[in-house]
Amino acid sequence: MQFRLEKKLQPSKKMLFATPVLAVFLTMILGAMVFTTLGFDGLSAVREIFLTPIINSLKWQDLAVKAAPLIIIGVGLSIGYRANVWNIGAEGQYIVGGLAATGVALLTHDLSGWWLLPLMGIAGALGGMAWVFVPAFLRTKLKVNEILTTLMLTYVAVQLLNFLIFGPWKSPTSYGQPQTVLFNSDQILPYIIPGTIVQAGAPIAVLIAILAWIIMSRSVFGFQVKTVGSAPNAARYGGFSENKTIWLTLLIGGALAGFAGMLEVAGPFNRMVPQFPSGYGFTAIIVAFLGRLHPIGVLFAGIVLAITFVGGEVAQTTIGLPNAAVGLFQAMMLFLLLAGDVLVRYNIKIVRAKR
Amino acid sequence: MTNFNRRNVLKIGGAAAMLPLIGTKAFAKKDKVKAAFVLIGTPDDNGWNYGHDLGRQEMIAALGADRVETTVVTNVAEGPDSERVFRELAQQGHDIIFGTSFGYGDSMLKVAGQFPDVKFEWATGYKTAPNLSIYNARFHEGRSVLGTISGMMSETGIGAYIGSFPIPEVVMGINAFHLAARKANPDFITKVVYVDSWFDPAKEADAARALIDQGVDIITQHTDGPAALQVAEERGIIGGFGQGADMSAFAPKAHLTSIIDIWSPYYIKAVKSLLDGNWKEGSSWEGIAGGEVVIGPYNEKVPADVVAAAEAVRLGIIDGSYHPFAGPITDNKGELRVEAGDIIDDGEFWAVDWYAEGVEA
Amino acid sequence: MNVDLTIAIIITMVGASTPLLFAALGELVVEKSGVLNLGVEGMMLTGAVVGFAVTYTSGNPWLGIGAAAIAGASVSMIFAFLTLSLSANQVATGLALTIFGAGFSALFGKPFTGKPIDIFGSVFPPALSEHPYLRVFFDYSPLVYFSLFMVFAIWWFLQKTRAGLILRAVGENDHSAHSIGYSVLGVRYGAIAFGGAMAGIGGSCFPLILTPQWVEGLTGGRGWIALALVVFAAWRPGRLLAGAYLFGLIATMELYAKAAGGAFRIIPSELWASLPYLATIIVLVLISLRHKISSSAPACLGKPFIPN
Repeated sequence: MQFRLEKKLQPSKKMLFATPVLAVFLTMILGAMVFTTLGFDGLSAVREIFLTPIINSLKWQDLAVKAAPLIIIGVGLSIGYRANVWNIGAEGQYIVGGLAATGVALLTHDLSGWWLLPLMGIAGALGGMAWVFVPAFLRTKLKVNEILTTLMLTYVAVQLLNFLIFGPWKSPTSYGQPQTVLFNSDQILPYIIPGTIVQAGAPIAVLIAILAWIIMSRSVFGFQVKTVGSAPNAARYGGFSENKTIWLTLLIGGALAGFAGMLEVAGPFNRMVPQFPSGYGFTAIIVAFLGRLHPIGVLFAGIVLAITFVGGEVAQTTIGLPNAAVGLFQAMMLFLLLAGDVLVRYNIKIVRAKR
Repeated sequence: MTNFNRRNVLKIGGAAAMLPLIGTKAFAKKDKVKAAFVLIGTPDDNGWNYGHDLGRQEMIAALGADRVETTVVTNVAEGPDSERVFRELAQQGHDIIFGTSFGYGDSMLKVAGQFPDVKFEWATGYKTAPNLSIYNARFHEGRSVLGTISGMMSETGIGAYIGSFPIPEVVMGINAFHLAARKANPDFITKVVYVDSWFDPAKEADAARALIDQGVDIITQHTDGPAALQVAEERGIIGGFGQGADMSAFAPKAHLTSIIDIWSPYYIKAVKSLLDGNWKEGSSWEGIAGGEVVIGPYNEKVPADVVAAAEAVRLGIIDGSYHPFAGPITDNKGELRVEAGDIIDDGEFWAVDWYAEGVEA
Repeated sequence: MNVDLTIAIIITMVGASTPLLFAALGELVVEKSGVLNLGVEGMMLTGAVVGFAVTYTSGNPWLGIGAAAIAGASVSMIFAFLTLSLSANQVATGLALTIFGAGFSALFGKPFTGKPIDIFGSVFPPALSEHPYLRVFFDYSPLVYFSLFMVFAIWWFLQKTRAGLILRAVGENDHSAHSIGYSVLGVRYGAIAFGGAMAGIGGSCFPLILTPQWVEGLTGGRGWIALALVVFAAWRPGRLLAGAYLFGLIATMELYAKAAGGAFRIIPSELWASLPYLATIIVLVLISLRHKISSSAPACLGKPFIPN
């Protein structure tokens, strides 16, 4: 028995919503089975990873904090991916955005005022854009593959961070440890909900997703991006410049990643440390795909990923599920979600092998 | 199990007399303590995390499983991820939470502020709070012993020190090692290689190769795991040392001795004080004398006179006659940093950013 | 610099380069068939842990290498099924494969941490492997010679065999290859399995020839460097060999320079560490200045193929 894929004329709306839910359920069932076979308490593992973060209201703030950068970066990436522009170096743009914001914070450390945070935000976005400038330039002028250049520059960004933290930016008051000074109170994001750890990053993430949705569905730009991505020839006839689209989508992706970097360093971190690169840029790629490259989808995908991170920690602390098992669990869910994608875009026809 | 005999009552009375200003909660005796340990890696790294987990197990053995219950969280990234874990543990009703990495500090201080009834213990930290203590070990004292062995045993007179990043603890480990080696061999040179990675065994092994190829015949490392030691074994040089734990299984011939981190005395003390209701904010920095830094068994190939000299340094540190950083100390740029008769004291320790004369870094 | 030290540097450099060479050779074949598998790091970790476990249990490194190859190929089949049969996005699936490999290797490797094995070193008599000059040819693990053989074998396969021509055709123009009657998906399945096996062997180099132990995260991100290397080499096996040794040399020289002390230290180590990546970008630019990009990068790289 073989099967064959046939492209649907329109992506199935029903499947678009059904498959992520299906995949999560399948992960729960399979996960429980696999972990029981491995000698863990499979049912509890699934409960702690998937349900506790949703049921336990104390965990909601953690979800918000963890999901915000994933959503912001994911939204930026999804716009590019729609146009077939493959920026996979968001991690680097996130780091440089955080560094640029830190630079501004250190320069203005003796100052105060409401304008410090917006300035840092602009610096963060500009930093991310600067880091994606070279890949955009090379792609448009020389047709150099942006998948590779953006990835390479991510590693350079990590080295840049180390150079600054161990060198010129090292705090004189932290016992020689590699970290900057703490930002001053006007350089730290305000808490939005009293008594929680939810800072301005979370509502901004939601706002960005909604804004992106409106732009992508209502504006000429959104139409241009989608046309260049799905029908490049039509785009050319329609007078849309491919190069202009590449520039715009890469810069938007870089700016959002860099901005997310600023929100992180001015939010939960409050200073720059060597541990700042936490893989958000890479995880956001997965978030973008789970969200079907749709801003609202990305919003939900970011929350789902955050649930598995937060739930994974709960499972570690309550039932002693090893950290590695949590990683396995996440990978399984991603595989199933990606597999489910096929139902959205294709009809599966079972065919008998021709002899 | 409540054990309310007179001796305990007296102890509580004593604590109350000492700490008149701390709220009543501090005096609540507990039948059972729920303790949590947050690790940056996994306990099977044969180094830093292994040491802390061993300390935890010995603490349970000493206090009894009916009196203490533990949770271990591994591979917790520093930064906001750790903040979440600390809050999660506090919410689950843990009484005391040990965070065993420097980078957890900001998160622990934040969460400690939100959970005033939960005690926090920050390893290698530098800032305390009413419910947050810090603890560290004087690893550099062990380095003095290793340096003594190296200075006496090295034939080329060149030793090596492989570190991750130049943080003060590593810098001072290098200085302690080197100063001790120079006492035995005034021309001793210590070559320092930083691998610029928190964890990369293959790179550590290659660093060891690079050092051995350039005349080093004794290696010490400030990174977790036996990578450098295994290269020492493979190349047949005079040897190397275990770091954090005994690593002789990895290099039976090259493993001269080891610095073993023993955290159980501190863990027992901290949890016991909580059981007794007299935990208080503090800063602990014990070394060889306190039993937190232990020199492992010596390899049989270490000559008797070297063992004797090493033991003399070890005992000298315990009775105070040997100080790892006794002057005069000149740095490797020729500047006199510590006058004869002076020492680098605990306060100055963390500000040292220079290497002693003869260190090539 | 004297001869002894030069020889020593060469030997260390070759060791450091060999896992990169294996993994990158495998990825080169995968990319030539038009598939971009970003899961190299995950497959290397899988190979490293399985290679260690089998060598430790059996005492036979050859069995370990074979098992590492099988393990790498097996996990790569998850990627192949998702991206080929279900035409899932290759970038996302590759990243998921890396997460999977990291989790799997950590979990599977738990019982094997803290256990030593013997290094799988030179099998030549000491007269050769310890000779002051000849050791530059003989003081290597059999894995090193095997990697060199594979460079040649893959070059020969891609350039001189009909099967290699088909594989390249599939990577350049999948629909034409399909219409002539070749099984695009079949070829790509084969290429991915081969790439997985090579990444697995590359991973097994870590416990077998570099640092004879297993510990979580042992490969330290080399899978990503291997990806860079393929591009650096402009998808050519010969250049890949040169590139792998150049990357290995940069990493090795950093350590030798630090150990030597003195003037070398003027270069910040962060710059050393950035060099392979910056060099790769420069090579990409040079390629595209000299040719059209299509003459080096496989035209169908990263695009799913759906037979009509």
